[in-house]
Amino acid sequence: MKSGRVWKYGENINTDVIFPGKYTYSVLDPEEMAGHALEDLDPDFAGSVQPGDVVVAGKNFGCGSSREQAAACLKFAGVQAVIAKSFARIFFRNAINQGLSVIKCPEAVDGISDDEKIAIDFSAGKILAGEKVFSFPPLPDSVIGLLEAGGLIPYTKKKLKGDI
Amino acid sequence: MGQTVIEKILSRHSQNDVRPGQVIWLDLNVRSARDFGGPNVVKNFEREYGKDQVDDPSKTFFTFDLCVPACSIRYANNQQICRKFARKKGFQVFDVDQGIGSHVLIQEGLASAGTTVVGTDSHMNILGAVGSFGQGMGDVDITFAYKTGKTWFEVPETVKVLITGQMSKTASPKDLTLFILKQMGTRKGALRAIEFYGSAVKSLDLSGRITLCSMVTEMAGIIGFIPEYDKTFAEEVEELSGKAYSPLAADEDAEYSDVLTIDVSGLEPQIAAPFLPTNVHDVSELCGKKIDSGFIGSCTNGRASDFAEAARILGRYKVKEGVMLKIVPATRIVYDVLLREGILSELFKSGAIISNPGCGGCAEGHIGLTGEGEVQLSTGNRNFAGKQGKGETYLTSPAVVAASCLAGCITVPEHS
Repeated sequence: MKSGRVWKYGENINTDVIFPGKYTYSVLDPEEMAGHALEDLDPDFAGSVQPGDVVVAGKNFGCGSSREQAAACLKFAGVQAVIAKSFARIFFRNAINQGLSVIKCPEAVDGISDDEKIAIDFSAGKILAGEKVFSFPPLPDSVIGLLEAGGLIPYTKKKLKGDI
Repeated sequence: MGQTVIEKILSRHSQNDVRPGQVIWLDLNVRSARDFGGPNVVKNFEREYGKDQVDDPSKTFFTFDLCVPACSIRYANNQQICRKFARKKGFQVFDVDQGIGSHVLIQEGLASAGTTVVGTDSHMNILGAVGSFGQGMGDVDITFAYKTGKTWFEVPETVKVLITGQMSKTASPKDLTLFILKQMGTRKGALRAIEFYGSAVKSLDLSGRITLCSMVTEMAGIIGFIPEYDKTFAEEVEELSGKAYSPLAADEDAEYSDVLTIDVSGLEPQIAAPFLPTNVHDVSELCGKKIDSGFIGSCTNGRASDFAEAARILGRYKVKEGVMLKIVPATRIVYDVLLREGILSELFKSGAIISNPGCGGCAEGHIGLTGEGEVQLSTGNRNFAGKQGKGETYLTSPAVVAASCLAGCITVPEHS
């Protein structure tokens, strides 16, 4: 179980501020993409985020365009999960296809503060924040399979090889 | 037990009798990518699948619509990467001359009622306007769809929305759409399919249906359908696409997660102020706010009737000195209609800037970008901070954009 620092933001965080449109037309390396994560929302994020950190936000996280870089840049930046009150549909899929964990847990969003240290137990469906424990419902089995394999394409490759 | 529209479509394409919450493997009639996302799809495909062929070249497409023709070397390179890939794999490109991909798929009869379509466009659910299941997806999803012809999908619940009452005569389909968005917010239809019923939506033509269905994305919904229709709408779709219009209807005993009623009686023109599409007001509340530019176009309001309405409001008048009015038809076919009917000429004489077909400024493409401090009225669908530049974008109808460009400030169009 990995722990990390919380980066907390508001509602309706859209893909333009997660990964600016001006970079979407260049095919970038993972490190470069990580360097632009949340650039127009929190200029300090990309320089200070550590592996295992968690992004926490309100409802409709990732609304806006279909750009996959919005999920990919957070994963490449080392973010272990995004916890939100709700997710926009395309971001949610992109995150799972990229192997980035997404947790819908409104109680945790209300109960966790910015900069707090938290840990996530995915198999038990629990978020541990000091004395506080928040439960979240597991994703459907088939979606967990995708996440555990590292995303959609690795999942189907393993499936074709008979490893799953 | 009966099924909703989306449950019927997904059942037909997965050989399952699907129910909400199930995760299914869905067969796709159309797998597409744009100049946005397309180059990453090529990169992903070649990295993951090497020299493999796509699943079915006759069902695989690129549709270039964002920056058309390319306005930078970066875009030109990206589009060329896609063209070369399509030639190698033997599939069709709807190139930079054709216009907005989702509209092109409708006109080509590729996205017809009951079909399943994916593309790298978050407004691909616009296809609900013709009873097709369209869905915007990211690069990995599309790469996978190119290779396998399938995608995974969690069957959503459906919300039934009954629209009651008569709008005022000055209200357009965009006003109806913005008002419904205001009532629905980003929660009531979130991650669900929406079926709209009632005489105000039943009577909508293709253009009006496209406007409403496009902004289901802003409601955080999966897709919107308008199951009831007039004969004239069916004829319009059939004439455009060359295919019979036979949409799937919901069963009488279909199960809905929610049934909502929205009363539009007396509805007046609406406008969404920066920086959220749901920040909707009566236009009359914002009258007098000075504007710098107007944009008419986008996948939401880029049809011939949208420009005809703007031309009607502009009449023989010219836009106020210092105000830019930018016109971007959705497709080449729309452009042709506007040319033949003399509407482009009328708009031109009123001082409008006329662009070739495409998405315009929505995703930092061509026409419709704003500078710092610029106030723009747009018929588009998003006004997030920074989306079209550093200025402020207000979302409204073609009529309000036209009337406001004449006045130089936000104005309610006069009814004639």
